[in-house]
Amino acid sequence: MSKPSKKKVALVIPAYNEGAVIKNVIRGLRKAFSASAYDCEIIVVDDGSRDDTARQAKAAGAKVISHILNTGSGGATATGLSYASQNDFDIATTSDADGQHAPEDVLKGVNVLAKGNIDLLIGSRLIDKAGMSKVKVLGNRGLSFITYLLFGINVTDSQSGLRVFSKRALSELKWKTSGYEFCSEMLWRAKQIGLTIHEYPIKAIYTDYSKAKGQNNWNAFHIVSILMKRRITELFSE
Amino acid sequence: MSRYLLLFLLNAPFVIVAITSSLIGYKLGKVSRRKFVLQVILWLIVLAGLAGAYSIYQFLFSQRLTESEPLSLFDVVQVTFIVYLLFKSSRHSFHQEALERRLKDLHQALSISTSEKK
Repeated sequence: MSKPSKKKVALVIPAYNEGAVIKNVIRGLRKAFSASAYDCEIIVVDDGSRDDTARQAKAAGAKVISHILNTGSGGATATGLSYASQNDFDIATTSDADGQHAPEDVLKGVNVLAKGNIDLLIGSRLIDKAGMSKVKVLGNRGLSFITYLLFGINVTDSQSGLRVFSKRALSELKWKTSGYEFCSEMLWRAKQIGLTIHEYPIKAIYTDYSKAKGQNNWNAFHIVSILMKRRITELFSE
Repeated sequence: MSRYLLLFLLNAPFVIVAITSSLIGYKLGKVSRRKFVLQVILWLIVLAGLAGAYSIYQFLFSQRLTESEPLSLFDVVQVTFIVYLLFKSSRHSFHQEALERRLKDLHQALSISTSEKK
């Protein structure tokens, strides 16, 4: 009897000016998945970086897709998942390029999705808030609450970058926004097409580097204004 | 010709064209049923407002809810311009969204295909 073939997993990392840390992030993921039962490919989507992100990622052995223009995190994620869908991957993950997510949490998410009847799995930093500042907790809780008000989706961490997608989610899930607001919009679209959404706890690793690069809470207002505009215009536009 | 009739005749074509293009978009599968219904409702409200402008004015005046003068020619031009802007903005927003979608898809496909050739 032939052995069942390994599941193909795409580990997508959208990256913008992450040349300083991308190598370590790729190495960490490779190490975590090396002993796993999956056939993995690490895909870095370089979103028009001005530094050597693409070169560093390639040197670390990742498949690199380079955007000609900087589109934003949502656009880079869409490109990575589109590549995964076109290349017939069974599961795909997205994780941040600044090393905020533990590679073990990415593997844990893939294991959970592979076992259960789940289409979209979100790694929530707010189930166990250890390592997060009060300001970050407040900002993320606020955006999750607004996501609930606008789209009726109740999740604890709507802005998490660590997500795991089933094959169905890869082929059917599309969104329109390109910036960080895509995190909430993606959940809305997933709900619209009837995908099963679940969460699992992850830990957030904040280094001086990620704190310096990360989003500040003022960006939340920008995200909310775009989401509200999208929600209203979609009532009337074609 | 009554100014109210003139107002209706000048604006009705915008409403008819808007509803017709929504219907065509829906039949071609470019517009969801929900959006189509909402658009038709919006334009029917505009049409009802135009058709019943005189009665609405009479009612408001009799109830002392307005003291404004009856419709002037300038009002006709102004309302027509507002309806025209509504019509244009609705069409532009559709075209802009379609273009944004195409540009995004093109950029995505180009990035993937370029990376595969390397």
